[in-house]
Amino acid sequence: MKTCFIMLLFLTPGFLSLAGEEAPVLAGEPYVYKEWETFYQQEDGLPNDHIFALKVDGDRLWVGTEGGLALYEDGKWKSWTEEDGLPFNVVSSIAVSEKTGDVWLAMFGGGVARFSGGRFDHYHQLNSGLVNDVVYGITVLGDEVWAATTAGVSSYNFVTGEWEIFTEKNAPMEEIWCYNIDSAGHKVYVAVWGGGILEWDVEKRYWDAHHDPDREMEIDLYRDDGLIHIITTSVSMSEVMWASTYFGLSRYDGRHWRGYTRQDSGLISDFINFADGRGADSCYLSTDLGLAALVDYNTNTWVTYKRDSEDAKNWTAHIMIDNNIIRSVPVHLTLPNHFIICSEFQGNDVWIGTGHGLARGIGKGFYDGLKRKTD
Amino acid sequence: MFWRGVLGGGMVGFLFVFAAVQPNAADRFYVGEKACRECHHNAGHRNQFNVWHRSKHARAYAALAMPESKSIAEISGIDVNPFDSPICLGCHATASDAEEWERDEVFYLQDGIQCEFCHGPGSEYMEDDIMRSPELAMMAGLKMPGEDLCMICHVDKGSHMAVLKTQKFDYEEAMKEIGHPGKGGLIPEKQEEPAALLDGPKYVGVMACAECHQREEQGYVFSRWRLSPHAEAYTVLSTEKAWKIAEERGVEGNPQEAGECLKCHTTGYGEPAGRFMETFDPVMGVQCESCHGPGSEYMPEAVMLDPVAAQQAGLWSVSRETCLKCHPEESQGEPFDYEAAVRKIAHGKSLKEQTSSAIEYKTPFNIVVSRDGRRLYIACEGSDSLIALEAETGEILAEVDVENLPHGVCLSPDEKRIYVSNRGTDTVTVIDAHTFEVIDVFKTGDEPHQMATSADGGRLYVANAGSYDVSIFDVKTGEEIKRLSAGRGAWGAVRSPDGESIYVTNNLSHFVKFRAPSLSEVTVIETGRDYIDRRIFIPGANLVQGIDISPDGEFALATLVRTKNLVPMTRVIQGWVMINALGVLWKDGRVDQLPLDELDNGFADPTDVKITPNGKYAYITGGGINAVAVLDIEKMLSVLSHASEEERKTVLPNHLGVPTEYILKRIQVGVGPRGLAVSPDSRFVYVADALEDSVSVIDVQRQERVKVFDLGGPKEITLARKGERIFHSADITYGTQFSCHSCHPDGGIDGITYDIEPDGIGINPVDNRTLRGILDTAPFKWEGTNPSLSRQCGPRLAVFFTRIDPFTPEQVKALDHYICTIPRNPNRYRVGDELTPAQRRGKEIFERTMDNAGNSIPKENQCAFCHPAPYFTRRLVFDVRSSSHLDTNRDFDIPHLNNIYETAPYLHDGRAETLEEIWTTFNPNDTHGVTNDMTKDELKDLIEYLKTL
Repeated sequence: MKTCFIMLLFLTPGFLSLAGEEAPVLAGEPYVYKEWETFYQQEDGLPNDHIFALKVDGDRLWVGTEGGLALYEDGKWKSWTEEDGLPFNVVSSIAVSEKTGDVWLAMFGGGVARFSGGRFDHYHQLNSGLVNDVVYGITVLGDEVWAATTAGVSSYNFVTGEWEIFTEKNAPMEEIWCYNIDSAGHKVYVAVWGGGILEWDVEKRYWDAHHDPDREMEIDLYRDDGLIHIITTSVSMSEVMWASTYFGLSRYDGRHWRGYTRQDSGLISDFINFADGRGADSCYLSTDLGLAALVDYNTNTWVTYKRDSEDAKNWTAHIMIDNNIIRSVPVHLTLPNHFIICSEFQGNDVWIGTGHGLARGIGKGFYDGLKRKTD
Repeated sequence: MFWRGVLGGGMVGFLFVFAAVQPNAADRFYVGEKACRECHHNAGHRNQFNVWHRSKHARAYAALAMPESKSIAEISGIDVNPFDSPICLGCHATASDAEEWERDEVFYLQDGIQCEFCHGPGSEYMEDDIMRSPELAMMAGLKMPGEDLCMICHVDKGSHMAVLKTQKFDYEEAMKEIGHPGKGGLIPEKQEEPAALLDGPKYVGVMACAECHQREEQGYVFSRWRLSPHAEAYTVLSTEKAWKIAEERGVEGNPQEAGECLKCHTTGYGEPAGRFMETFDPVMGVQCESCHGPGSEYMPEAVMLDPVAAQQAGLWSVSRETCLKCHPEESQGEPFDYEAAVRKIAHGKSLKEQTSSAIEYKTPFNIVVSRDGRRLYIACEGSDSLIALEAETGEILAEVDVENLPHGVCLSPDEKRIYVSNRGTDTVTVIDAHTFEVIDVFKTGDEPHQMATSADGGRLYVANAGSYDVSIFDVKTGEEIKRLSAGRGAWGAVRSPDGESIYVTNNLSHFVKFRAPSLSEVTVIETGRDYIDRRIFIPGANLVQGIDISPDGEFALATLVRTKNLVPMTRVIQGWVMINALGVLWKDGRVDQLPLDELDNGFADPTDVKITPNGKYAYITGGGINAVAVLDIEKMLSVLSHASEEERKTVLPNHLGVPTEYILKRIQVGVGPRGLAVSPDSRFVYVADALEDSVSVIDVQRQERVKVFDLGGPKEITLARKGERIFHSADITYGTQFSCHSCHPDGGIDGITYDIEPDGIGINPVDNRTLRGILDTAPFKWEGTNPSLSRQCGPRLAVFFTRIDPFTPEQVKALDHYICTIPRNPNRYRVGDELTPAQRRGKEIFERTMDNAGNSIPKENQCAFCHPAPYFTRRLVFDVRSSSHLDTNRDFDIPHLNNIYETAPYLHDGRAETLEEIWTTFNPNDTHGVTNDMTKDELKDLIEYLKTL
């Protein structure tokens, strides 16, 4: 029992300070989102408060919910449900084509839709080359839209009309349950639940696979030897690759891997739903227990936002180095649900979507990284 | 017996052999008649080669060079050389739709219909140990065809019957003609290694010559040779007559083995083996090199282009003496007439020169006027040209060749460039407006129609009717910077006066729920970001084509048709099939619709609209009634402002009593008016009279046609032109409500499902079908009850469609003739010989005979059985269980699949919006092909292949 208690201490954030050891010193002050706006169901204009997807489109924000699509623009909400022509109410992912301005929707059980000039075009497994209607993720790269589905990946060239399907037959998919998808440059990245991260080079038409060298081990045997776990839940390309799993976070700069878990970082939980890279040094993680933001890669400085107890009304931001809480800051965030599903940056602001409500952190005076005294 | 021994080895042995001869169909390839000949050229036993080589089948490819072939192509809507037409090649060559890798090196398309056309690609069954067992051979892919196969090509073809006066195909008689039984005898041993080649000129064989000498510009030399007795000089030795002559001359045995015969019946006989290249084939008879000498040294193109060099390299000069070597002055009592013989085999003159007699009309489609009002530019679809006219006098300043089927024309804002869209080649031709030189060609989406530029001229917006989108070009670089999704059938385009928007009309309705009214779209593009700004939906309308915007930008006018396709067409006598109308699209998104028809006085086929710069009038072309309507804008606005909301929504769109309030006049113009333009000073309106090769000039003040500019087209009116005029005329319909063109714009489809017969509301709905390239796809009508176009367009048309006196026989003849000549678009999914990997996999599925579980698919349920090349229809009616509760019929015509991708929706009643839905939704019991065993990617591959047909 005593051993267990000691083990628990080691696993608890803030262990060093509890043990009386010298706490690490902040190399600079991280930015903390103190002011937040919250939005719930009809009273705030959302069609539903189960927020599955967020996508910034210039000054606008598209929101995918369990009960429809919403748009936040100029401080006003507009929404679409099946009654308004939305092909399926459960919007699980959103992408915007910079080239055409069209909005592409992944629908959980409803296929894919293009929303263009007020018109919804519906592509599903019965009327198109979409491999499956359970679509988790969507991204647009050039003239192609890519959909991550529960049965593989489909791409659709909206100029030529050609569909392509990738499954275990023609891609190194150990599983075909594709959970999330992102694109950058001329590559598409797929987070496969149980299959790591797959990387498709559109120009060379070549797949590369990133797996966990420890395979299905749920501990990381050799630190930073590769992806932290093959059950990946999202991938975010922002100068480097950020990949979330249900067992921690991985960062890959093309040569080196770096893994993060609760033991050595400000992650509130290793159960990460979504990773949102903010450059090579910063990433915001949507976890089941709140929002964890790595704000400075070099010093491993984090700011985590969570409710400190189940009955706490306000959230607290904890400034952390490694897994040590350096300081706690109360913030004006009152979301009742800390199961965060998605996040999105809009300029200096950050949006988070949860199982019950949407919130925006107002980034007044926001800065990247750490503000040092000499700054 | 070999195969008995194998079977005697027990099941293991059988399975081993089965596996060995059960190759993947995808691995099969065509080996060519030469490989078959190795065993099947055995006099007295397997004499099949001689029989085939002297048959029409062997000459089928060469026959495409005959003038008759061109005539057949012309009346079949095939606007390319027959040698380049998949349709022609499909029945005149073997494996013409195969990829290059599927043809062995010694396989030649020039061999026409050869063994493997009927017996399947031979690579896996050709070995003699397999061929000794019919069972094993068939397992390995050998087909033993029956009447089914012959009828794919020999079913009645109106085109061939009209030109060749052929009789109905008699299968029994045909089999007697081509019958080639025979078996037994020794299997010849494999040929020895080829002899070492000697120095000096060597024989290369006719197929090497044919690589260059099959071209049209060279007069189809190969074809002319192949159709001559020279080509069959060797195989003729197998005939009874040849044996008799040989016997009379003391030749013993087989003439094909007798030197005395072979020296004049083959090429290079008596030369040592080292004088023959591997490409040389002695059975090809008297080949090019018999007269021109062994060709190895002079055959390179660079040498042949220089007559002196060619002669120095061994090219013989041909003279009387050349012929006399084998054609003595008198033979078998007949004198040899050298001049006649030379004429008979002449092969230097282009057949094109001999046969070109096609009349080419101008067919002006769209027109634009320069800012100073002095010049008109007209896109002429018939002559593939742009004509520049002096606006005052009609003097033709220039005619510039563009590409195939030019449609739209527009000017850059600085008027230095003229843009012409070519819907037949998916391009925009860019012409210098001063020099009239073509300075660039932009590649667009499918079937580009109208265009507009941005206000600064930096962008060109092209409405692509075939790919349902808008191409946006950077005109400096010619780069297509993006493609935006339009509605279906993007057609017209115009820039708003403030320059901030481009309005694009769409010819086809969106897909709507089964038995629901049409819903059309006008797409509005924001020019700043080049994004779709909004989509204006017009309920109950389709065929939205022409568009213009009022000078103040408050509203746009768009031509449209309100087709009442959900009630029987026979209700035309109640004025209840089509209302030809105008859409008023307000800046705030509101849409009004106002009819152009009057009671029993329809304004069929409104095609284009232009508002005068002073905003007083709008002019609308009525293509079906050869008239232009003059609309008073102020009166139109007054009608709208005095109507209640409810009246504007439900009454005015269908009220044939109101047009007299805002239509001042209908001005008669030339035949088939299409596009129009208004002079910048609002004084004149110019109208492209498409079917009269002229431009009508209307004086706005007098509201009269005051001039007609002749564009210089031929004055003779051909049968096809007569038919074209009938096709576009609403005189054939009760109250001039519509023409053939109304439902088949430019011979295509309007994309909606009709209720035609008076058998109850909604009963037996049928999807509209394209008329492009349909001549040899009878029967017609979805029920397949009309065996010919003349039946389809004859009295039946009057009974079910027009409700007026039927066409005269002369009219029917002309109309049918025209319809047959409407060309099919080039296929956009098959570029060149190669298929993509997905298309290749799809082809394998299309041709499969077993399902994924290894079960045989009944022949009648295999894709390729009902849909065989080249038309991909067996031309029968068939029940694939696609009928719905609204159908009283279960059997439907098997549709042809050429360019199937451009004729959505699908099935007889248009219920399937996409090709996928045919099988994912409407084939639950595998009655329309076995498809439910397929994985999603397999079905996708199949569809990728179908698009290439």
